[in-house]
Amino acid sequence: MQDPRIRLICAFLLSLAAFVSITGAILVFIWWLVFTPRSHSIRYRSAFCAALVMFVIISVVMSLTGSDGISYLVRMAAILIIGSWVYSESCTGDFLSLGTWLLGKRTGFETGMIAGMAMQMADSLSDDFTRIRIATRMKGQPWSIRSIVPAGRIIVHDAIRRADETAEILAMRGYRNGGTICPRFYTSVSDVVAGLFAAIILILAYLPVSEFFILNR
Amino acid sequence: MEVAGVRLVIDHVTASSPSWSLTANGVFSLGVHLISGDVGSGKSTLALMMAGLRAPECGTVTREGISRMMLSFQFPEFHVTGLSIEEECRSWNLDPEEVIRSVNIGVTGVTPVLSLSRGELKRLHLTCILARNYDLLLLDEPFSSLDCAEKEKICQKMSLRSSGITVIFTHEQNVFPHVDHIWEIVDGRLTDCGDMPGAIERWQHAPPLVKKLVSTGRTPRELTPEGIREAACRTHE
Repeated sequence: MQDPRIRLICAFLLSLAAFVSITGAILVFIWWLVFTPRSHSIRYRSAFCAALVMFVIISVVMSLTGSDGISYLVRMAAILIIGSWVYSESCTGDFLSLGTWLLGKRTGFETGMIAGMAMQMADSLSDDFTRIRIATRMKGQPWSIRSIVPAGRIIVHDAIRRADETAEILAMRGYRNGGTICPRFYTSVSDVVAGLFAAIILILAYLPVSEFFILNR
Repeated sequence: MEVAGVRLVIDHVTASSPSWSLTANGVFSLGVHLISGDVGSGKSTLALMMAGLRAPECGTVTREGISRMMLSFQFPEFHVTGLSIEEECRSWNLDPEEVIRSVNIGVTGVTPVLSLSRGELKRLHLTCILARNYDLLLLDEPFSSLDCAEKEKICQKMSLRSSGITVIFTHEQNVFPHVDHIWEIVDGRLTDCGDMPGAIERWQHAPPLVKKLVSTGRTPRELTPEGIREAACRTHE
C-alpha cells in the first residue's frame, strides 16, 4: 500500500474492528491475507513472536481465571499483525507528510516529525538489543530472561539521551515550532479497494452475525 | 602470557548491506593492528565477523589458538551490566577501587554507571577491558567520545598490551597507540598496507600531517604522538 493516508485509516479501522469482536478479528486476519504481502509484512519476526507469546501467556491466565482468553488472544493477534504491517510498510518521511496533511504546518508538522523520529529509533532498537546481548555474553555472563531488565534499562536510557541530543541539535539549528512541507501521495486502485474493505469489516464487526445470516434454531 | 600460534585468518570473506560491500582477506598475527576506513565502510561488520558474531556471506574466519576474546563496541553503554560503578567493575572481575583510581573521574563505587557522561563511561569501559588479558581484542572506534588528552592516555594503556592480537577499527586522525601493522578499507576491500613503519607510505587514510611528513622524506617510525613529534623534528635521515 503506497498511500500512507489510506494505510493509517485502514490501521485505525481494522484495529477497532479486531478490538470490538472476534468476528471482526477474523475478518481482519482475512483482510491481512488478501491485501498485504502476508509474512513479508512482518519485519522483525523475533519481536513479533515475543509479543505473540506474551499474548498467549495472558490468554492462558485469563482462561484459567474464568475469562474468555481465546477471544482476547484472537483479537490481540489481529491487532498485532496490523501493527506489524503498518510498521513494515512505513517509509522515511511518511509520518511527516501525513502529519502535515492531517493537522497543518505547525501541530501536524511537529507531530509527524516526532512520529518519524520515534520510528527511526524503533528501527535501531533491535540492533541495540542484539549488541547488548553479545556484550553480556562476551563478559562471560549468561544471557537469560533476567538479563532483559538491565538491557531494557540501557535501551531506555540511551533513547532518552538520543532524544535529548536531537532536541539540542534542532534548537541549535533554529527550530522553534512547525515547518513547511508539500506532501505528495500516490493512491493506487488497490489502496482504495483495501480501504473500502477495511471500512466494511468495521461495520460487520459492530453488527451481530445473526442480523446477516438466517440461523436454524 | 605469550601464546605461540595465535592468529586470526580471514579467508576471502565478503559482507554487504544496501549501502556498502566489503571483501576481506588476510592474516592477523600477534601485535597491534590498525584498520582504518571511512564511516560506513563496514568496519563494525568486519569486527563482528572477526569475533565470530556474524557469519560472512562467503569465505571463512579462523581463530587459531584464541581462547579469550573480547569485542568492544563503539557505544560503551552496550557493555554495562551493573547498576553502580562498583557492580560494573566487579562484572569484569576487577577491583573497583583500583579501576576508579585509574580512570580518575571523581566518582565513588556507589555512583550509578549510567549517570556518567558517554566520555566518562568510555574511559571506564576501556580501562576495564585493557586491565584484562585477551588473546584477541577487537576495539571498534575506541577513541570516539574522548578528548585528545584522554585519547593519549588510552593509547598509552593500549601500547602496554604485550600479548595477543589487538585490532583497532577507527577513522581517528589525530592520536594513535603503538601500531605494528596497518590495514585499511578502500573501495570496499580490506587492503594490507604492511608492517610499520613502511606501511605508512602505502596508507591512503593516513592523517594529513603524516602524509606531509612522508612527502618531505620524514616517515614516522611510530604513529604515537612521540613518533610523530620525532619525525616532525627530524632534520636529516
